Amino acid sequence: MSAARRALVTGASAGLGRAFAEQLAAGGYAVTGIDRDAPGADAPFDHLRCDLADPGAVDTLVGDLAGRGPFGWIVLNAGISATGPFEAIPPEAYARLLAVNTEAPMVLCAGLAAAGALAPGGRLVFVSSLSHFTGYPGAASYGASKDALAVYAKSVRAPFKKAYGVSVSVACPGPLRTDHAARHAPEGADAAKRMPPDEAARRILAGAQKGRAMITPGAGATIFALISRLAPGPVTSAMKRIIYDKLDRSVF
Amino acid sequence: MAEARRRIVVTGGTSGIGLELVRRLADRHDILVAGRRADTDALPVLPEGVRYVHAPLTDPEAATQAIAEAMLKAGWVKLDNLVLNAGTGFAVEGGIESAAQIRETLAVNLTASVLLARALFPWLEKAGGTLTLVGSVAHTGQGLFPAYAASKAGLHGLARALRAEWSGRVAVQIVHPGPTRTEMHAKAGHDPGRLRDIFIPADRMAAMLEGAIAARRSPVTLSFGRYWTGRAAWSGKL
Repeated sequence: MSAARRALVTGASAGLGRAFAEQLAAGGYAVTGIDRDAPGADAPFDHLRCDLADPGAVDTLVGDLAGRGPFGWIVLNAGISATGPFEAIPPEAYARLLAVNTEAPMVLCAGLAAAGALAPGGRLVFVSSLSHFTGYPGAASYGASKDALAVYAKSVRAPFKKAYGVSVSVACPGPLRTDHAARHAPEGADAAKRMPPDEAARRILAGAQKGRAMITPGAGATIFALISRLAPGPVTSAMKRIIYDKLDRSVF
Repeated sequence: MAEARRRIVVTGGTSGIGLELVRRLADRHDILVAGRRADTDALPVLPEGVRYVHAPLTDPEAATQAIAEAMLKAGWVKLDNLVLNAGTGFAVEGGIESAAQIRETLAVNLTASVLLARALFPWLEKAGGTLTLVGSVAHTGQGLFPAYAASKAGLHGLARALRAEWSGRVAVQIVHPGPTRTEMHAKAGHDPGRLRDIFIPADRMAAMLEGAIAARRSPVTLSFGRYWTGRAAWSGKL
């Protein structure tokens, strides 16, 4: 199998990551899916178990993956959230969230690049969040973790293009119709308004294929990003009314 | 503007902008500095009367506990200002930092800030205080030190959300300093060369930072625009 036909997806067992892994597998890629949970017997990809909150496990994973590369596609998608009043969430949950959402993808990215596991001409995608364009009251640490990841992606884009011929993209999807989103949304939020993960994955892969630096999948996300850039203050205030003021529980 | 004595915690207060800020504030306010230096190295550097706690932010949980204990030991039940100024980073080739460099940068700059903001919130709320996060103009992205830029973007996002969440209780602000003449670049393994000559002197940056803290606005960029128009000379006092 040629190097460029190998793919890596983190958080591959469910939600958006599952959609990435299935679509890349359908496109003929031999996919390695990383997840804490098993994907089920019907998954069309290899599963490597890893808890991305554990630095030792991440270091081991980098070594294992280096032997499976080089990868034509790497999608660093795994993420967790913590919603509720900032001061009400236990510090352990914050340490874990920042380890999974920010530290692990950065260590994986740098480690795989240093090990020569990025195939020239390949694509490297970081999954951030639409919250990158606004303040996210009720999920301040989640927002911070995704802002950090988005700017890491922006930072390595030029050096990686130059050094490896790899195109780095950051994707900022809005609310998705996943179990993850349902767990963290306020009571009574309408799941039908959220984008199906298959559609988001398709749009993100297409954008990354085109070499886009920033991908906001769907017209809704694109418009939200634009308005947030024009009026960051009012959008954050609106986010507070729509999300923070309606939070009926803390989830972490 | 300067009225009552304020109780202020400054992280990274033993060198650079943090130390200059402490020097400006020390005779008017009660200050607790947190740093990674041992007491014997830190205390001679600090102005008289300033309290010091050895709390390396490379271990965010332990540092948070040490700082909270130091506040209790000092008998502080309220905190007027928490200035999360400590920062670290590594300049690298080709955008690749080692795992250890990434982890240290994120721990000191981002995770410690999240944990300290959370732990010290009750103190800040009692005083109607201000949380100041010191970011960087690099927060929009920088290929020379990607993890540093990322960590500062994280602080920017944290400030944006917390400012809305804590509105009316605790003021939250992010302040982004531009290039400053400190030891930071040498520590990071980066030689700015002759460019360093135009960097803003640390004491002038501290003056602008003090003014920004007093004004409680967010986000604020403290760079050449302000410096060259003389803002360091007439920034407000805390």
